[in-house]
Amino acid sequence: MANLSDKSRWLLRHFRREWQIYLMLAPAVIWFLTFLYTPMYGLQVAFKDYSIFKGVAGSPWIGFEHFQTLFDNDDFIRSLKNTAILSAYNLLFAFPAPIILALMFNEILNQWYKKGAQTIVYLPHFISTVILAGIVLTAFSPSAGIVNTVLGWFGVDPIYFMSKPEWFRPIFIGSGIWQEAGFSSIVFLAAIAGVNPSLYESAVVDGASRWQMMWKITIPSILPTILIMLIIRIGNLLEVSFELVLLLYQPATYVTADVVNTFIYRQGIQSGQYDLAAAAGLFNAVVAFILVMTANALSKRFSRTSLW
Amino acid sequence: MSGVTLEKIVKSYGKIEVVHGIDLVVAEKEFVVLVGPSGCGKSTTLRMVAGLEEISAGRITIDDRVVNEVAPKDRDVAMVFQNYALYPHLNVKENIAFGLRIRKESKANIEKQVAEVAEILGLTEYLERRPADLSGGQRQRVAMGRAIVRHPKVFLFDEPLSNLDAKLRTQMRAEIKRLHKRLGVTSIYVTHDQVEAMTLADRIVVMCDGRIEQVGTPMDLFNHPKNLFVASFIGSPPMNQIQAEVEASGDKLFAKFGAHRLELPMLHELGANDHGRKVTLGIRPEHIMTQADPDTDAIEVELDLIETLGSEALLHTTVMGKPFVVKTETRGDLSHLENVRALHFKPDMLKVFDGVNGDVFDHPERLK
Amino acid sequence: MANMNLYSRGDKFFVRINMVLVGLFTLATLYPFIYIAAVSLSSGMAARSGVVVLTPVEATFAAYQQILVDPDFWNSYLNTFIYTIGGTIMSLLLVIPAAYALSRPQLIGRRFWNLMVAFTMWFNAGMIPFWLNMRDLGLLDSYFGIIIGFAVNAFNIILLRNFFESIPRSFEEAARMDGANEFQVLWKVFIPLSKPAIATITLFCVVARWNGFFWAMILLQDEGKIPLQVYLRKTIAELSDDHEFSSTLLSSLYSAETVNAAIIVCSIIPVLLFYPFIQKYFNKGILLGGVKE
Repeated sequence: MANLSDKSRWLLRHFRREWQIYLMLAPAVIWFLTFLYTPMYGLQVAFKDYSIFKGVAGSPWIGFEHFQTLFDNDDFIRSLKNTAILSAYNLLFAFPAPIILALMFNEILNQWYKKGAQTIVYLPHFISTVILAGIVLTAFSPSAGIVNTVLGWFGVDPIYFMSKPEWFRPIFIGSGIWQEAGFSSIVFLAAIAGVNPSLYESAVVDGASRWQMMWKITIPSILPTILIMLIIRIGNLLEVSFELVLLLYQPATYVTADVVNTFIYRQGIQSGQYDLAAAAGLFNAVVAFILVMTANALSKRFSRTSLW
Repeated sequence: MSGVTLEKIVKSYGKIEVVHGIDLVVAEKEFVVLVGPSGCGKSTTLRMVAGLEEISAGRITIDDRVVNEVAPKDRDVAMVFQNYALYPHLNVKENIAFGLRIRKESKANIEKQVAEVAEILGLTEYLERRPADLSGGQRQRVAMGRAIVRHPKVFLFDEPLSNLDAKLRTQMRAEIKRLHKRLGVTSIYVTHDQVEAMTLADRIVVMCDGRIEQVGTPMDLFNHPKNLFVASFIGSPPMNQIQAEVEASGDKLFAKFGAHRLELPMLHELGANDHGRKVTLGIRPEHIMTQADPDTDAIEVELDLIETLGSEALLHTTVMGKPFVVKTETRGDLSHLENVRALHFKPDMLKVFDGVNGDVFDHPERLK
Repeated sequence: MANMNLYSRGDKFFVRINMVLVGLFTLATLYPFIYIAAVSLSSGMAARSGVVVLTPVEATFAAYQQILVDPDFWNSYLNTFIYTIGGTIMSLLLVIPAAYALSRPQLIGRRFWNLMVAFTMWFNAGMIPFWLNMRDLGLLDSYFGIIIGFAVNAFNIILLRNFFESIPRSFEEAARMDGANEFQVLWKVFIPLSKPAIATITLFCVVARWNGFFWAMILLQDEGKIPLQVYLRKTIAELSDDHEFSSTLLSSLYSAETVNAAIIVCSIIPVLLFYPFIQKYFNKGILLGGVKE
């Protein structure tokens, strides 16, 4: 008992002295509870027959019915497949792009040229998805777009790029690279800047060429950074920029373009099937969670660096 | 009276106790230095006085007021930190005035006080500069100015000189001493450097493993260390130690080690029946002679190295397989030192410590 | 290293080829901007028939005149400013004190609170529950809903918390002994010491707010409250329908393409004006701020 009152006296004293930091923390905690944790509680609609009139808590439980419906739904399966394929393409093409770019920047001797090029290639990162989509749609337009104009010079008939399923993925990945490759190279440039200069100096003395130094010194030195970024990437594998998909796709290209989040958007927000869409969202979130946790565990293992 | 009293002060983090019940009385206007190796609890003790660490048990009074539950700002103490904690975004004037501003003193008063302190510390011409544009010594002064300007009852110093180079440290040491004389404010000073402790302190508190080993004036500690720890910690170069065995012969006691035998001083706590007892001999480097005297014993040694300091030199030798250092005067010439083959000891220059617990025999406090 | 004369012939060749490749990539990045600007300044006829390549054809400000007289355009522009400024201020008000509190060792349950924040980076309920929640809170179609609903971001809190944690404790202790309370320590010491980190998260907030469109599109039905990006999206939607353009536009000085391009240009201009100021914060810290060594 003496211990207990000691403890509570200590707590009382602590709060009297330190109440201000709790006051500082409170608004953010309330915000998290209201805007992020309440929706987590609301996720239960994925297991309910949700009705607007009965509300989240009042709707009856129906177990895994929505998940069954989803996995019988070809559109959902298709959206899963498309998400996986776009992610894989991203990993294959969009991931190496900034690394290559950083290596190329590193080989430029003229600082003025280098700074100018960097200023330009970082810029698209700050452009909104809507503007990006606007630029893509303008450039690939069949009658007015520059792409078809150029193709026309070579006698190619106009291609309706945006309504052809086979063109969606290249255009999507390509515009992603245009927007992010430059800015993402910053991390790798920073890693390259951290390489001990005496490594290069001794290589020069040994008569190595620039090309050899890049392969034997630069790349091995930044390998840990590449690994970390790769792991982060794997953790966010499901985060295909669905806003860009939403702006670029049309019913004709759903077959290659529709991803999980656009599926959720159509089912939930547009058709009002909140419970079914929430179930799809929950599935997505759980898979994402597993990926992130795996990535973090991998990162701890390989680099003794925890991502968060 | 603006003294500080610590009664049975304990600090524990969870189950780990790091300060084990310290008792200490710091008198008004006294300059007390807490010294000890890192991790001995000296900084923790100081921070408990400042109010930056909670006191797990015991009582601290400042100026006869129990301050255990008083917030740091209401204790009327000021502290100088090891890294100075100068705000880089404020200039010298604003840094010094920070505490007064927080306390909502009037503008005119702040101006006056800051000008006064700047005058004392010789910072007047630097008032508009940012800390980044100051030298190490100047930063150190600003940190002190920030403490002085509040006219606290107690100054606390947490290793304030350890970020300075050796030369500046000596200079600032003297400055702190002068300042203390001028302002006469009770001060508690923490350092791991025994030279700082010796030069600054009215009284030194030697700490080890969360306990006080000995409290006393610098000369007290130098001449009458209570145990081997204090003896080896105070003094530079440190006291030489030799493991030996007591040998009673006639009415005299000797210390035997290897092939050597040195006569021990007459001690109340050591007698003929201690024959064979293990002891540690402590001999300060300055207390060894290179020339024979009527009442000295000698041991033969070979010189490994002579380090010249100018008027003095350190002779490095080996006794019983351990380094043994002798400090001696050069009188402007090394040649007479190069031929030293034997070291000479007077019995009353030897300290004898218990071979088991390290306590000195015949400490004056115990004999009283 | 920079002395080219010391390079072997092979190296010189390699360096020059590389310079050309980087130049090409840079031009490829830059070209779409030039192209859109050219389209926006061309006549509707020229744009429609695909003859605009690099410079305006039949140069005219017709498209700009068209949008500059549209009150919806100005209204959405104003709304974007409201969301960007209001949202950024709200973010800083919530994030800075929380990051400070989470960086204090004396905070009881610090691990728990940190986990509560970080967990939202690993798991989120998704679009539908968030939307239902906003509806239940009565925040559909409201300026306040957009401003408050997206004010906090776990990454920003963690980034700033890490920065605060790297500030030596003695700064806080010195201020405390000088009599500062926690709010004063934060305001007078930590915030001035953390300018780069705060500038970084401010930049994140501003860019996210300026560019945000999806939730504004979903949550705002009232045309009077939509931001520029949603306005732009509505006009773009017309572009993606390949076939039907009203024939009346054909003969005129502007077309859907030129009007769109003009809106895009108007929306990029503030970003370009802001760009030089944010460039100095491009460093490793921006992207790896959340990674704890």
